[in-house]
Amino acid sequence: MVDLATITAGFGDAFTPFNLMFVLFGVLLGQFVGAVPGIGPIMAMAIAIPFTFGLDPLPAIAFLVGVNKGGLVGGAVPAILMNTPGTPDAAATALDGHPLAKRGKPLKATKMALFSSVTGDLFSDIVLITVSAPLAIMALKMGPIEVVALMIFAFSILAGLIGNSLIKGMIAAALGLLVASVGQDPEHYTPRLIFGYWDLFDGLPLPSVAIGMLAISEILRRMSLAHGNVKSGIITDGSNRPEDRRVSWAEYWACRYTMLRGATIGTILGALPGIGSTAAAFMSYAMTKAGSKDPSSFGKGNLQGIAASESANSAVVGANLIPLLTLGIPGSVGAALIISAFMIHGMQPGPLLFEQQGRLVYGLFGAMLMANFVNLWVGQLGLRFWTKVVSAPESIIFSAALLLCIVGVSMATSGLFGVAIMLIFAIVGYLMSTFGYSLVIFIIAFFLGPRFEKSIAQSLALTNGDLTQMFKSPVAVALLVLSVVSFVYFMRKNAEAEAIDSKT
Amino acid sequence: MNLKSKIFALGASALMAFSAPVLAEDWAPDGPLTIQIGFGAGGSTDTMGRVLGKVMKDNTGWNVVVENKPGGGGVAMFTGLSQMPPNRNIVGMGVSIPVLVQLVNRGDQLPFDIDSFDYLGTVAKAELALVASKDAPFDTLEEMVAHAKEQGTLAVATMAPPQVLVMKQTEAKTGASFNLVTADGGAEVMKLILGGQVLAGFGSGEQYPYLESGDMKVIAGANQSRLSYAPDVKTFTESGVPAYVDPVFFLAMTGGTDPEAIKAISAAIDEAIKAPEFAEIVRNAVKGDPINMGVEGTKQMMVDGLANAKVLFGK
Amino acid sequence: MSADRISGIFFLLLGLAMYFVVNPAYIETVEGGSLNPKTVPNIISVIIALCGGLLVVKPTHHEVGDLRNIARTGFYSLLLIAGLYAMSRFGFEYVAPVLAFAIMWFIGERRPFWLAFGAVGMPALIWFLVTQALGRALP
Repeated sequence: MVDLATITAGFGDAFTPFNLMFVLFGVLLGQFVGAVPGIGPIMAMAIAIPFTFGLDPLPAIAFLVGVNKGGLVGGAVPAILMNTPGTPDAAATALDGHPLAKRGKPLKATKMALFSSVTGDLFSDIVLITVSAPLAIMALKMGPIEVVALMIFAFSILAGLIGNSLIKGMIAAALGLLVASVGQDPEHYTPRLIFGYWDLFDGLPLPSVAIGMLAISEILRRMSLAHGNVKSGIITDGSNRPEDRRVSWAEYWACRYTMLRGATIGTILGALPGIGSTAAAFMSYAMTKAGSKDPSSFGKGNLQGIAASESANSAVVGANLIPLLTLGIPGSVGAALIISAFMIHGMQPGPLLFEQQGRLVYGLFGAMLMANFVNLWVGQLGLRFWTKVVSAPESIIFSAALLLCIVGVSMATSGLFGVAIMLIFAIVGYLMSTFGYSLVIFIIAFFLGPRFEKSIAQSLALTNGDLTQMFKSPVAVALLVLSVVSFVYFMRKNAEAEAIDSKT
Repeated sequence: MNLKSKIFALGASALMAFSAPVLAEDWAPDGPLTIQIGFGAGGSTDTMGRVLGKVMKDNTGWNVVVENKPGGGGVAMFTGLSQMPPNRNIVGMGVSIPVLVQLVNRGDQLPFDIDSFDYLGTVAKAELALVASKDAPFDTLEEMVAHAKEQGTLAVATMAPPQVLVMKQTEAKTGASFNLVTADGGAEVMKLILGGQVLAGFGSGEQYPYLESGDMKVIAGANQSRLSYAPDVKTFTESGVPAYVDPVFFLAMTGGTDPEAIKAISAAIDEAIKAPEFAEIVRNAVKGDPINMGVEGTKQMMVDGLANAKVLFGK
Repeated sequence: MSADRISGIFFLLLGLAMYFVVNPAYIETVEGGSLNPKTVPNIISVIIALCGGLLVVKPTHHEVGDLRNIARTGFYSLLLIAGLYAMSRFGFEYVAPVLAFAIMWFIGERRPFWLAFGAVGMPALIWFLVTQALGRALP
């Protein structure tokens, strides 16, 4: 255990104007780059790391923490203002954020996202600082069998998002899983469905698929609608009433349970390596919708929907550091980037980190707390800037966004090959949404697919092919029971919705 | 390393670059020199490649750009490199084993062989170890095999095809049976061992903090020679299983590149690999010292590696 | 024919094609192990085919909307594909201004200021950000 003197020394190291400045730089860069369509938070981190080479460890890490957290807030901006999420977790934010922005309340929507993102982030940071060690040990006990059960549970909750046609939802999910099976198979490492393109051996590049499906397909659709009739990207000042431009305390407080639930889901999933923020955001959204007294108001600009998604996906990022710091296991691409930055600065995450470099770790925690508050402050100013930017004519916004997506994806993947894949998925995404298939279901299945198949392969290997051994794990059994309950519950809800739908 | 020592190191290497008789002064890239890393951002190859690029930039003043080209453990990147016209000032950085494995298994599907490249040098060797939790009821490979026979089977986590083959070879030689669980990289292997889902697994550096903390122990080395950090532990070969894996981080360019360029770039790489700040990164990443086998030595390493991979895969 | 019937037939055929043609040809055959590389893709292909078939039998009331919009999207997609192809031959610096101008023109933008800003200003800004500020290469 780390003694109190180390803790206070660590926090003391962090809270200096010099470090605050680096946090501020980081947050500014992160929010800006994260909000640019096609670049996003992960890219922001990758770009930022080389700039830290010449710095001392603490300012360097403070800077990266700032970029990481700023990128999260920035990532919600294009999702809400333009309905073009750059990352799949922000897609859940767009579900209610964009409708609200379209109703002339873009500032209210983005501010709600900012507040709930910072709230979820702060929650998971506090969990990380106080109880990371026991949580990490619990996460270790989640072996492949439990992970399979957890994924089944996640899929069952997503049934709540399927909408009014179960068959079409199943097709969207199956298609996502099929696309996810491109690349080496999880057990024998053979190239699968790569058609001779070795660039696909590690699977279809995530940024290409996510940005193509979610952002470009939406831009394509909107371009065809704008044809010959150039408007502003969004009507910023449709209403000048101050209550439409801010989030009141009462509105924030009304979302407290939603945010608490979102942050808890995010923290738990974040502590388990490899599940990721997308599942957390959508699980939180689906649960909030299911628990609401007025589920039909979701998808039309409900603040609860924004709060659910943002609190969960931001909590994941803080919680991803739990396995990273205590065990040295990165839970996501972003966390893998942080680990490499740590290594460059001589920090070796793992069981001895707190003992050997406790002061630096608590310095990092201090920087994280600072970054949360800086995020809130910079966000308030930045959101005004972004709502101004998207009030430019649609023609310029679409052409600029397309160029940025091309450049961003080509930087994040292997050049133009990744851009070509992005275009293919943009067209696929457009056709799917035109024919009424849920892109959201597709993308979640695509993101969860590889881990799901890998965990099944691992479970089969561990149990000699006898999956009934699953019933020997109490955690797995509990999760499976929950899956059945939630699946039946959501199917009933869907059936009710369908019945209403067919009457009208 | 803190800021001051870093600045000193940079300053010192810059000074050395000025004062030493400058090598290959006559050649410099016209435009940026790109290092393409055959893996995604955030791994050990990426970390070493980025610092290598940074040190080369500081030493030579060239504009060194580092990019990630992930896919197939470097196969995608080397495919691209082999299809380019020479003299494009693009250097590929990868690991020998994944490339050699695909060359042995699917050589007919690949547009290159080991002669398609001009080799520049190596950076380091990855040491591969079979490790187990400290509570495991065995300390050596022989004891582990005995335990597996007693239990009927034993779960072992692997993260790449050669390790699977090493374990299959162990099964064939000893008659023991193992449940091979494939994991996504060394970090997941460690998670499976710590969580108690498997008893042993392979690590290429990820296990080091746990060895230091006493949570894990080394059962066997999987390289040709013994592990530098555990010289008392026998290798698979010494334990009667004739199989080893020697992954080497290396750099290469499209074949047919101007010999002057090769000379200048390989000299710059060699200089960077000797820099203390680079050595520290290598030790953080692979727990070994930097090793540069040079232009000829790297080619020889690939030729020998291919022969060994053929034996391992029984081709 | 309803939109769901069309997409249902498509997915029925896709699933069957994957199961009988593509999966056997592009997935290697492996001996032993716990999970064959073919297993999961084959199961998914069957599900897609089954659901596609079911949709043909029991379509919803979904409508695709104005066909002219779909045609326009097709046109913009072709424009992007052409732009991408040109980029692979001539580079971002030369193609981006033309592509941006074309997109803006077809959307209906005629104001010289915005056209100039989109076709010259934005590409220049991106060029500066990527090559100068970040030190990366443009596609």
